[in-house]
Amino acid sequence: MANLKKTEQRDLFRGALEMMILRSLMDEPMHGYALVQHIKQRSNELLQVEEGSLYPALQRLLKAGLVKAEWEISASKRKVRTYRITQAGKRHLEQEVSSFEQMLEGITRVLSPLES
Amino acid sequence: MIWIKQLLTRKSIYDDLAEEIRQHIDEKTEALIADGMSREEAERAAKREFGNVTHIEERGREAWMWPLVENLCADTKFAFRQILKNFGFASTVILILALGIGATAAIFSLVNAVLLRPLPFPEPDRLVWLSQQDHSAPGVVPESLSYPDYFDWRVQNHTLSGMASYLGGGVTFQHDGTSQHLDAQSVSANFFDVLGVAPMLGRDFNWEDEKPGHHVVMLSYSFWQSEFGSARDIVGRTIQIDDRSYTVVGVMPKGFQFPFEHPTPAFWRSLSGDAEGKNPKTEQRGFDVLDVIGRVKPGVTIDQVKADLSLIADNLARQYPDNNKQYSSALVEPELEHMTGDTRPALRMLFGAVVLVLLLVCANVAGLLLARGSRRSAEFALRAAIGASRAAILRQLLMEAIVLALCGGAAGVALAVGLVRVFLQLMPVEIPRMQGATVDAGVLGFVLILSLVTGLLFGVFPAWRILRWAPANALREGARSVAGGRGQHRLHNGLVISQTAIGMVLLIASGLMMRSFLRILNVDPGFNSRHVLTGRVGISFDKLNRDQHVLFYQQLLTRLSAVPGVQSVSAGWPLPMSHNSASISFNIQGHPVAKGDEPSGALSVIMPGYLETMQIPLIAGRSFGTQDGLTGPPTILINQAFARKYFPQENPIRQHIQVRIGDGFFEQPIREVVGIVGDIRTKALSADAEPQFYLSYAQAVVTNPYLVVRTSTDPAAMERTIYAVIHDLDKNVPVYQVSTMEDYLSKSAAQPRFQAFLLTGFAGVALVLAAIGLYGLLSYMVTLRTLEIGLRMALGARRADVLRMIVRRGLLLSLAGVGIGLAVSALLTRLMEGMLFHIRPIDPITFALTAALFLMVSIAASSMPAYRAARLDPMKTLRDQ
Repeated sequence: MANLKKTEQRDLFRGALEMMILRSLMDEPMHGYALVQHIKQRSNELLQVEEGSLYPALQRLLKAGLVKAEWEISASKRKVRTYRITQAGKRHLEQEVSSFEQMLEGITRVLSPLES
Repeated sequence: MIWIKQLLTRKSIYDDLAEEIRQHIDEKTEALIADGMSREEAERAAKREFGNVTHIEERGREAWMWPLVENLCADTKFAFRQILKNFGFASTVILILALGIGATAAIFSLVNAVLLRPLPFPEPDRLVWLSQQDHSAPGVVPESLSYPDYFDWRVQNHTLSGMASYLGGGVTFQHDGTSQHLDAQSVSANFFDVLGVAPMLGRDFNWEDEKPGHHVVMLSYSFWQSEFGSARDIVGRTIQIDDRSYTVVGVMPKGFQFPFEHPTPAFWRSLSGDAEGKNPKTEQRGFDVLDVIGRVKPGVTIDQVKADLSLIADNLARQYPDNNKQYSSALVEPELEHMTGDTRPALRMLFGAVVLVLLLVCANVAGLLLARGSRRSAEFALRAAIGASRAAILRQLLMEAIVLALCGGAAGVALAVGLVRVFLQLMPVEIPRMQGATVDAGVLGFVLILSLVTGLLFGVFPAWRILRWAPANALREGARSVAGGRGQHRLHNGLVISQTAIGMVLLIASGLMMRSFLRILNVDPGFNSRHVLTGRVGISFDKLNRDQHVLFYQQLLTRLSAVPGVQSVSAGWPLPMSHNSASISFNIQGHPVAKGDEPSGALSVIMPGYLETMQIPLIAGRSFGTQDGLTGPPTILINQAFARKYFPQENPIRQHIQVRIGDGFFEQPIREVVGIVGDIRTKALSADAEPQFYLSYAQAVVTNPYLVVRTSTDPAAMERTIYAVIHDLDKNVPVYQVSTMEDYLSKSAAQPRFQAFLLTGFAGVALVLAAIGLYGLLSYMVTLRTLEIGLRMALGARRADVLRMIVRRGLLLSLAGVGIGLAVSALLTRLMEGMLFHIRPIDPITFALTAALFLMVSIAASSMPAYRAARLDPMKTLRDQ
């Protein structure tokens, strides 16, 4: 995806944050704060992302047309900007996940002890 | 056109982002309060966990931008704002840069015009200059070809698609009842074809035109314009050259010139004139005077051409040992290299020097920026604290440097235009293509690259500092105005030391050139050039026979000697320093050698009174008098170098020498040595005298001699009187090459003078800049250490101690620089060896004096800041801090 600029997220590999955002938005549309909480919970707080780093990633996804955003009033009567995944976003997520799984499998094979 | 829409909606996108982030922090704060934190605590925690808001917003915005372009624009805008804000500082920097870049660009214009620009002919790389190697002398000594040799090479070679000859000479052109002396060339029929340029009017020469009786001429564009008003019907008309009719066959296009000599040829004749007469030049194999240029066949290398032609030369050497024995191989050189060979080392040295000046300028400006950068460290720290990334600050600093450099480059171009004009005035005109030097597109491109490189070079030091610095420290230091740590000082010291070292190298190089130049001026040429006026008259050899010729000169000399103010008058050829010479072979009776092994010496033909007029001393015997005329026995004078070389054991007087030269009456007679004369410098003041012999003009009428007139007053003032006397004798004879002997001497030293003065100019600039650099560093150091100095003084240090402390610092730095400079000079000046006259590259006096000068200047530059430091009022200083 040409429009995705390199992330400066040092703890995660390139595109990981975008992938997690897209995956989270597959479940339900969310605004930024909720997304952070969601990712933290789902990872059992294992992934400590700086909360702010989500926003540059969201802007990149918006620019690439993988998500869309709208200002809404939340259930708690707060003005929030809710993100939804687009069709293009879904396709992209699928690709990314499958290539990620391939990579993971490769890494796992290398790391596992040799069968004699 | 999505990007246009994006550009227009970007503002609202950014607003959304900012609002979204605000909401996020709000929500987080509320959540934390709900968890039981106080509002204050919660707000702080929310912000901390969120991260740097400015930075994150910026990165969010980046998704919508073209970061490279937009940052560049923003940085440029900011850089200009900085320059305007600190106009004094910026203009100083720009001025210094303009000096460095301007000087470099000016020298580059010369280098470009003379060395780099390709020859203005199609496929210029295939043009080669051809000559034969003289194996009787040590080293590579090219010797011109004779016509028969040239014809043989032309017919027998397999590697050249064409090979043309040209031979320059002065001619008398008669037009509308007046006659003038012009420079022209006699060329082979394929001359223009080999160069690859066709006439714009009329036809090219053809092979028929080389045959006797075919008097045809090709005009240069400027000659056609000035003499014939660009008449289109010029082709087919006849013009009078040397009392002969020539048919104009064509006109060459505008700008065509070859060879690149000064003055430029007015027209080109076919070589048919040299094929005529009783003993035509085209049949004399010993008449080695032709310049030859060839066009290499495609795909053939220079080495192959050399092998091909050497085979022919070797055969000729065997076939004609009398003339060709020592010329058994060929020399092949790319034409451009051949043309620029002499000036190459000089231009290279000047370019090297100017690059050093530029480096020094860079170091100087880097020092200035560094000092200013640390004054600005609080500003940078503040920016970093509110979210500017290190990369952004770095980028911006470099951008400021580059903008400064580009401004300096622009000012430098203006300076270069002026400098090139000055250089061309000072530079000897004989350097081919030099007069074409301008600040053209190539030079502008060079300046642009130069400015960018310079900007990066001096910008990188302060920027490098930023990379290694912690904002928190800077803020703290900034508050106490004690910016700059150890690393900064080391860097700054390094810059000052390198400036001193570079300045030393330049100063030593210029000192060597200057001393060498002064030595050249102090050379005794062997004759007295003061109060001597010289000039030539173009008497046609077709109109007057040789006896009438001699008679004309005798009459002319008699009349001239009667002119009031004329002390003595005579005539001779060649005039020393006039770039004329002829080397003629000879044999000494009783020293038998085979004809092909005969030595040769420099020929002079003189009329009685020449030695006395030029004040060349007679060492032994007598000089020429009336008895050495047409009817007298053939005689010869030799110089001391000749006597030393060929008569080491014997008395040369009354020995007999046969010189291989004839004039139609005296055909190689055996001449008796009647006198020995003092050595004179003939080619240049720096060239040693060579074995030379003098023949009486009446016994060897070979060319029109130079008149030499010794006057009792300013010789230049006599010019019009001399003209009047000549035209009184023959009103149609052209007078040319009128000049004082002093001018010839001065011109012969023009190149060393130009080099010496230019280098001295560079060195002067270098010295001033190095001093400014040192002064700047010490002043800056004093400012930084005000507190420390105040404390020291409060604790009992005396003013003299403070003074000594600062001066010592300055002296230490310049000692280091001087030391490095001396060492580097010792390595580099060796490259100048060929350009120095009677002075060794490692000349202890020059080295020592330069070092002393530099140290003195350093003390002067240090004393001002030191004095200021010593005058500090300790109480006031401490209070201010």
